[in-house]
Amino acid sequence: MNAAQCELGVTVYVVDDEECVRRALSRLIHSAGYRVEAYGLAREFLAQVAAQRSAALPHSVPEPACVVLDVQMPDLSGLELQRELDETLPAVFLTGHGDIAMTVGALKAGAADFLTKPVRDADLLHAIGQALARSAAAVQQQHELRELQSRLERLTPREREVMQLVVLGRLNKQVACELGTVEKTVKAHRARVMQKMEVGSLAELVRVADKVAQPGLSPKPAS
Amino acid sequence: MNIALLAVPAAVAACFVRLLSPPRRAMHDGLPPRFDASTRRPALHQSTRRLLWRAKSAARALESASPAGPAQPPAASGSSSPSNASHTSHACAPAVTWHASRAVRWKEWLARVLPASHAQQRTHAYLDSFSLLECAPVAAFVLDAQGQVMCANAHAERLFHGQQGQLSGLGIDMLVPHLWSAVQRDAQSLQVEPAAPVDMFRTPPSAPAAAPALTRETRAKRRDGSDFPAQVVLHPIAWQGASAMLGFVCDRTESYELKRDRQELAHLTRVSTLGELAGSLAHELNQPLTAILSNVQAAQRFIEHDPPDLAEVRDILNDIVDDSCRASEVIRRIRAFVKKEELELVRLDIGGVLRDVVQLVHSDAIVRGVHLSLDVDEHLPPVRGDKVQLQQVMLNLIVNAFDAVRDVDPLDRVVTAFAGRDRDGMIRVAVRDRGHGMSADRLERIFKPFVTSKAQGLGLGLSISRSIVEMHRGRLWAEKNSDQGMTFHVTLPPWNEPATARATE
Repeated sequence: MNAAQCELGVTVYVVDDEECVRRALSRLIHSAGYRVEAYGLAREFLAQVAAQRSAALPHSVPEPACVVLDVQMPDLSGLELQRELDETLPAVFLTGHGDIAMTVGALKAGAADFLTKPVRDADLLHAIGQALARSAAAVQQQHELRELQSRLERLTPREREVMQLVVLGRLNKQVACELGTVEKTVKAHRARVMQKMEVGSLAELVRVADKVAQPGLSPKPAS
Repeated sequence: MNIALLAVPAAVAACFVRLLSPPRRAMHDGLPPRFDASTRRPALHQSTRRLLWRAKSAARALESASPAGPAQPPAASGSSSPSNASHTSHACAPAVTWHASRAVRWKEWLARVLPASHAQQRTHAYLDSFSLLECAPVAAFVLDAQGQVMCANAHAERLFHGQQGQLSGLGIDMLVPHLWSAVQRDAQSLQVEPAAPVDMFRTPPSAPAAAPALTRETRAKRRDGSDFPAQVVLHPIAWQGASAMLGFVCDRTESYELKRDRQELAHLTRVSTLGELAGSLAHELNQPLTAILSNVQAAQRFIEHDPPDLAEVRDILNDIVDDSCRASEVIRRIRAFVKKEELELVRLDIGGVLRDVVQLVHSDAIVRGVHLSLDVDEHLPPVRGDKVQLQQVMLNLIVNAFDAVRDVDPLDRVVTAFAGRDRDGMIRVAVRDRGHGMSADRLERIFKPFVTSKAQGLGLGLSISRSIVEMHRGRLWAEKNSDQGMTFHVTLPPWNEPATARATE
């Protein structure tokens, strides 16, 4: 399992301003077989993440990862830092003295877990495991979305219009009427949409349309 | 209190004046009835009365010439006359705060006010000259060469809870334990020369003032066995032709209690300040504990590996040692801060003191989102002071500064602590904030006790801080910054200045 995770490029980031804590946590997490990157300053960590993202290929998705965060840090609090992260990088919070408000706030904002220092290894590694699973799911989802979006981008504007109306449940002739064309043309467009979107049935097309809907299926020029 | 002491010579003169005044009212001074001169003491010898009359005139003359001015208005002196001098000892003010080291001057005064003529009266004056001290607001006694009390005045009898005449014949060690052995030890430095001792009341005005006195801060024992802090001054004199010691004892209970109360109060505010920091101190302690636990658990896992990663485990063990030291260091700092000990004036590096305090509030700064920076001149000369008390002052100033920036924009939550040297050689510590500041009229008021801007503050921090700094012969004040917020300044004299060696109380 250890070697596998290292090879998979699963990374656990540790951000804590206290050097002794940072080292100890890094060791503990490393002993469980994860690749660890530790940062003493929240902004330094953010800069690093941003740099990695921009260096990556435009359509590539990040590897699963998570961050173990101290809540109290001099430059940027853990909660503030969390706002800058997306769901592929869930945070496990560690705090010396967390109160209920702080915990609720962090969890509502999408924290994977909220643990108090000193933390037992089992608790920490369990939380990291869950955070990584969440990250993997988010990465997977993002991956799919990218794939679907790239398929969508292959559609012509006309095909896109046809798809939009079809997934709304319109019949071919209704589509033809709305677009001011004939049913036969609509049929041909529809067949190409099914082919380009790599789906076999209308139901499947609707599901795909739903998935892509969040970022917006609104007609945009297929550049 | 010290101001009162400066006026003592004049007060003594006034005392003499009143010694010679007629009783104004029987209830006049609230002294115990047994301190009534007419019942306690036989009438003065006629020749002594004459001497006292002269003394009175001289004292008046001296009083008017005294640089301190008349300390007490000699209210009733105008109507006094030699014939009623014997009634009067109870009229002398018991409230005069007496400093025993000054008591020795009395002798000089007496020497001056008593004339050198009337040789035939001298022998009589011998017998009665001690009765002059009967009215003194300080305990006085004469010891013989063996350290036995030959006579003691009324104040001494009251002070030691002795019956009239009971003190005579007692060894001084019964009253002031270990005093006589100290006298014997210091006999050399006291330069007691039996051949030429200073003759009490008889030193001609031109003679050198006095042989050196022995002064001791010690505990004295009452006849009932209880003890009290006392200052004892012994002075070699000639007494009835033999060498003897004239002694004065001052009850220092009040000044000790004052000092103790002040320490107690300082300690209380210190503890309450630390109480405010409790949360962040727990955090400060939690960090090394977190590191230790994680390190240990990591080590357990590395040992399980096949092969065990011993190099890593070795590193871990080293780190655990460091972390444990750090945790105990945090505890040491807290304990040193809340400890209740006597004031200890030592050579101190003020930069180190400031750094210690900054360490103490490090977590608090993070929790409050305050950026605390420290700027210490590395080549500061040492100061003389009590480490804990000076830490208390700096902690108070820094925590106040944190409070001052609580409601301001996060970017302005900046507190800077400096330690440097002024052009005039004083060591300066300054704590600067970028808070809202305060109006000029409040700048001085905040140093008064019970003035506070905090919801749960006692309002004692700054007033105690100021008294601590002043005790160190320094100054503490506040200034408005030209741009934003305030700066609190502390200046302390450097160690090498001889004045600092004279520690104040």
